[in-house]
Amino acid sequence: MAVFKLDPEVYKCYKDEVLKLCNSFQKIDQPGLSDKQIAERLGLDERTVTEIRCVAERDCYSLDEWEKAIEFKRKATLEWSALALKRPDLKPE
Amino acid sequence: MADLPPGSAAKLKSVALESGATVCGVADATAFDAYAPEKHRPGDLLPGARSVVVVGGAQPREGDWAATSPWVMQTMGTTERIQGVGRRLAQYIESEFGYYALYVPPGTASGDTPFLSLMLAAELAGLGSRSLAGPVLNREHGFMYWSAVITTAPFEADGVETSPACPAPACREMWDRERTTPCLATCPGSNGGCLSGKLENGRAVRTFYDAARCNTRVHTHWVGGFQKVLEETLNEPDRDKRKMLLYGDFFTRSLWAITYSSTNIAQCFECMRVCPAAHGLREMR
Repeated sequence: MAVFKLDPEVYKCYKDEVLKLCNSFQKIDQPGLSDKQIAERLGLDERTVTEIRCVAERDCYSLDEWEKAIEFKRKATLEWSALALKRPDLKPE
Repeated sequence: MADLPPGSAAKLKSVALESGATVCGVADATAFDAYAPEKHRPGDLLPGARSVVVVGGAQPREGDWAATSPWVMQTMGTTERIQGVGRRLAQYIESEFGYYALYVPPGTASGDTPFLSLMLAAELAGLGSRSLAGPVLNREHGFMYWSAVITTAPFEADGVETSPACPAPACREMWDRERTTPCLATCPGSNGGCLSGKLENGRAVRTFYDAARCNTRVHTHWVGGFQKVLEETLNEPDRDKRKMLLYGDFFTRSLWAITYSSTNIAQCFECMRVCPAAHGLREMR
């Protein structure tokens, strides 16, 4: 028996709506819905919503954004080291 | 508290502090219902749950905050130390009081979703409040790691914190002067970052948060990064280029991170590093 596989077409169709309704990403003053509640609202089964949500969580940004994260942290860390240790020479270029 | 001996909550908190927690509080299990979706409430995990005991502590040291490499904080993540206190409290509740006690697993229930929000638990247990940047900050100790135990024991609940640590006085001054705060200036949503917000009547108000981008920073060398490189590799037809991706620093570091830890360890601290309410700027020699 294979693992549950989501139909890519179903994913494309519902991805944005599931992301908007779910609680994966904190939203301001708007608690998210459970997978079951989303399923009821969209007319899908709960397992399908869970899979759409899990794939969509990872699908928001490309790998480039992970690389940008590295550069962001390198720079921000050095900025703070320079300030906290009073070592302006540590400031990144 | 009818079913518990007098002073039970105080005794429990004292055991928590002796075990290494910096703070300990109790939330009413039903208080989660208004905020958490179903399956992520205490009673969903432990039917009959009446209280959630929350401990906080294991804060990074000044040396960790001042380190020149961002990989120090992610490698030295001290979250596991407070998790040990949570586990100990669960054992203590069962052996001392005879009630079910479920240590909230620090991992995820599905995808990136936790079993129970530890930040919500900390807020409801009166141990802190949400900062403009997101993490819950304790008024006295600032940024810390959290662990929680769901129990059927009816411990007396603490009230939520009424006076938030954020914004700190220094941030109010900066806002008056520059219309920004340290966290907003470090990770601005308007310039490739995750956050936007403002101070309104002395209160922090968040107006934008890119959680998906925040995820790429908090879990750079983690499950998400691993999946992204793996996908890139599978799509790469050239054998030599596949090798560069799999043997390269990004994939290697991700594997080190994943295989050396059984828990979610944060990998981005930049909004907290500059936050006066999170740890201040205590000078050391």
